[in-house]
Amino acid sequence: MIRIFIWSLLSFVLIISPFLGSVHLNLADIFNYDTLTSNIFFNLRLPRVFFAFFAGSILSLSGFLFQNIFRNTLMTPYTLGISSGAVLGVGIAIKLGFGILAFGISTLSAFGFFGALLSVFLLIYLAQFLKNTHQESLLLLGIALSLFYSSALMVIFYLGNSIQNDILIRFTMGSLSVIGWQNPLLLSLMAFILFVSIYMYRFELQLLALSEEQAKLKGVDAKKVILSLLIIASLAIGVLVSISGPIGFIGLVVPHLVSKLYPLSIEHRIFKTALFGGLFLVSCDTIARSIQTQGELPIGIVTALIGVPLFIYLIISKQG
Amino acid sequence: MIELDSLSCHYGDKTILNNISLKITNHLTVLGANGSGKSTLAKAICSLVEFDGIVKIDGNDIKNLAFKDRAKIISYIPTKLEVYDRYLLVEEFVLLSRFAYKSSFFDYSNEDKKIAKETLEFLELSYLLKQPLSSLSSGETQLVLIAQALVGQSKIIIFDEPTANLDPKNSKIIAQRIKSLKEYHEIILITHDLNLASYIDSPVFFIKDRKGNYFENDFFNEENLKEFYEVEFNSLVLVYD
Repeated sequence: MIRIFIWSLLSFVLIISPFLGSVHLNLADIFNYDTLTSNIFFNLRLPRVFFAFFAGSILSLSGFLFQNIFRNTLMTPYTLGISSGAVLGVGIAIKLGFGILAFGISTLSAFGFFGALLSVFLLIYLAQFLKNTHQESLLLLGIALSLFYSSALMVIFYLGNSIQNDILIRFTMGSLSVIGWQNPLLLSLMAFILFVSIYMYRFELQLLALSEEQAKLKGVDAKKVILSLLIIASLAIGVLVSISGPIGFIGLVVPHLVSKLYPLSIEHRIFKTALFGGLFLVSCDTIARSIQTQGELPIGIVTALIGVPLFIYLIISKQG
Repeated sequence: MIELDSLSCHYGDKTILNNISLKITNHLTVLGANGSGKSTLAKAICSLVEFDGIVKIDGNDIKNLAFKDRAKIISYIPTKLEVYDRYLLVEEFVLLSRFAYKSSFFDYSNEDKKIAKETLEFLELSYLLKQPLSSLSSGETQLVLIAQALVGQSKIIIFDEPTANLDPKNSKIIAQRIKSLKEYHEIILITHDLNLASYIDSPVFFIKDRKGNYFENDFFNEENLKEFYEVEFNSLVLVYD
């Protein structure tokens, strides 16, 4: 019953989402292609909803992936500093002036990808020196790296000129605003690749969620599988972050909610996590756009307001 | 048959096992104090830890075996299982032992599912089929771990302190299961439970001071126990028969 209610609510929001926003749309004009209304609807609102959906899927799926690989509900690309690494990569690209070029999008994405990938490698490299095998140490390591990347970004701010800094500040606040269909389509491809990879490796992941030892014993080439999945997640996260900036806590909140809603083993939660994550971020974005302020609320604020209390709850409930 | 040829293991600059050579023709019970390297020996045989020297199974160097081929030959049953996925069901868990047999990326075959189901029936565990693994008691978990090893149909099964967390009654159930497995599998048993060890009645390998001492039989007498464990024994109390 509660499942039906939640899915209906989220689907309802998905349907009304493109009609809401700071500019009121005249419904009669939507299919009148010469009008501003039609232009806003098809080139701003619809792509944005589409983009938000796949962004939510990617964030949720990678959170789900990290949690199962590292066996801890607090692990996400955001909490482990992978997002910050991607942000730093994009920051460097903007500072170097790539962001202003016409082909800027792909360059930024490449830098975002390498930022994410390097942070994954650095995290894994440092993790092997951990004497304490508790996963909390890995989390602390991720948080430390995240702080480091943020500081490095401050240096870039300090060195940047006002135009670059303006782009950077908007970028780091996180936004799902897109123009046209290029980015949404690119992101849907990333989400698809990530989903298919996780699905293909679902049984490996089930074994890894027991322990790396169990996975190896049952015949999984654990190192190879973990590395492949982390690289693919870095690619998706890097591309996403290069377009939208960092959006926190979705990867934490959604897998948790889905496991509460569907107490099934991970094999059966992959698709539900992707779908729920997409609808959830669309809803968050709809809230952000509907609150009447000067403009719109940055999406990161909405997700943090929902995510931080859950984050604290998960930390407290784990101590039992 | 497992052959160890000058096997050494180090953690950092600490030597755990030093130059151990041993032929395990059929079964083996590994004894030794805490931290003496019993589990390390088992993990070396499964190639889960780095080691120097050679481990051969039926003449094949373990390091040359593919992950899946190794999984088909050896099962290792840990003392305890941490389960992150709280909703993993027992039937799904035992099926994971068929991983090495299934085609990559595809689901488990009906044959695999049948083997898993029949094994649980054979061990009289069918009532646990739809229960989450994380909800089981220590005794049930140990039985399910045995089921999982059997589903893998491996020739060699390594038990790492199977009775460590169990009450006497469950210990007895497990002991009888392990003994009955000796007929079709090569059993390597690591334990501190001397009642269990003497009941299982395999050759004993006692690890002390990074070296092993092999006893084909007749290990369980008061002089040996005193010499190796450095404590006095009166008699072993729990009767598994």
